[in-house]
Amino acid sequence: MIKKNNRLGQEEMVGFAVIAIIISIGILILISFMIRSPVKGDTENYQVDSFIGSALQYTSDCEGETEFLSLQKLVIACGNEEICIDGRNSCDALNLTMMKLIDNGWNVGENSSVKGYNLKVLIDGQEKLSLNKGNETINFKGGFQDFARSGRNYEVSLNVYN
Amino acid sequence: MVSSRGQMKIQQMIFMIVAVTLLFILVGVFFLSINLSSLKKSSVNLAEENSMILVSKLANSPEFSCGNAFGSSRTNCIDFDKVISLKDRAEYSDFWGVAKIEIRKIYPNEGDKLCTSKTYPDCGVLKILDKNVKILPYSSNFISLCRKETDGKIIYDKCELAMLLIASQDKTQ
Repeated sequence: MIKKNNRLGQEEMVGFAVIAIIISIGILILISFMIRSPVKGDTENYQVDSFIGSALQYTSDCEGETEFLSLQKLVIACGNEEICIDGRNSCDALNLTMMKLIDNGWNVGENSSVKGYNLKVLIDGQEKLSLNKGNETINFKGGFQDFARSGRNYEVSLNVYN
Repeated sequence: MVSSRGQMKIQQMIFMIVAVTLLFILVGVFFLSINLSSLKKSSVNLAEENSMILVSKLANSPEFSCGNAFGSSRTNCIDFDKVISLKDRAEYSDFWGVAKIEIRKIYPNEGDKLCTSKTYPDCGVLKILDKNVKILPYSSNFISLCRKETDGKIIYDKCELAMLLIASQDKTQ
């Protein structure tokens, strides 16, 4: 009788183990499908990347020694704490120009699809400029561009909240 | 006694199999619903991506791009001096494979002032191609619109922020 009970108990355990294995395999298959699903947001980020790239080429009204500085050169000038020929601080010129570009490029507002933005300029990992407007939401498009000059690393990142 | 115990076992097994099957069906339906809800978004993303690629391709084509005219080679940079001459050129009407090509200045904002040989460069909208056909929604991307400028003393590169808009012909009819 005890032997029979033991055998029945073993059968139950084997059945339980088989079911546990089947469920585990099912969960693994579902997880693999979830991992393989395409990453979204690449397209959205593309436009932000294009904005940053185009904005960095913008010719500002800050005149350097030989030319009017592009925004990229203005970022470098700001990092070197240089001043424009008209006496303005290059960081102030950068701040103002960047704000005008973003405000014109992204229509931020309650009734707009763009609810806010957050721009950061980092020099050697340290935040040099930060511009915020509107609300930060969980849906956002983000992009960044980095470059290096004279051994220093510059990074401009922008998040646009929808 | 043994027979009823056996039946019980078979019932247990059937219940278990039904439960496991139902579990799989429910989980499958759950993931299917998630996938289906994102399918429309994926198709929109794909269409948007294709448009973006087309816009970028156009912006970096030899007829539009800055090349090395403004120092080093730049991406998404359009030579304003070059594209103004492409305006309303009949021989290019089928070259691009689109129905409308437009460049709109973002900053400085010049409004809707159309670019012509008289208003250039102080204008807001340059219509390079404008076919009178039914079109699909515009695709757009930011570009840098560059030209040579002078302040009387020196000639320098002047780049402004603009948007390149293109629209394909709607052939669904």
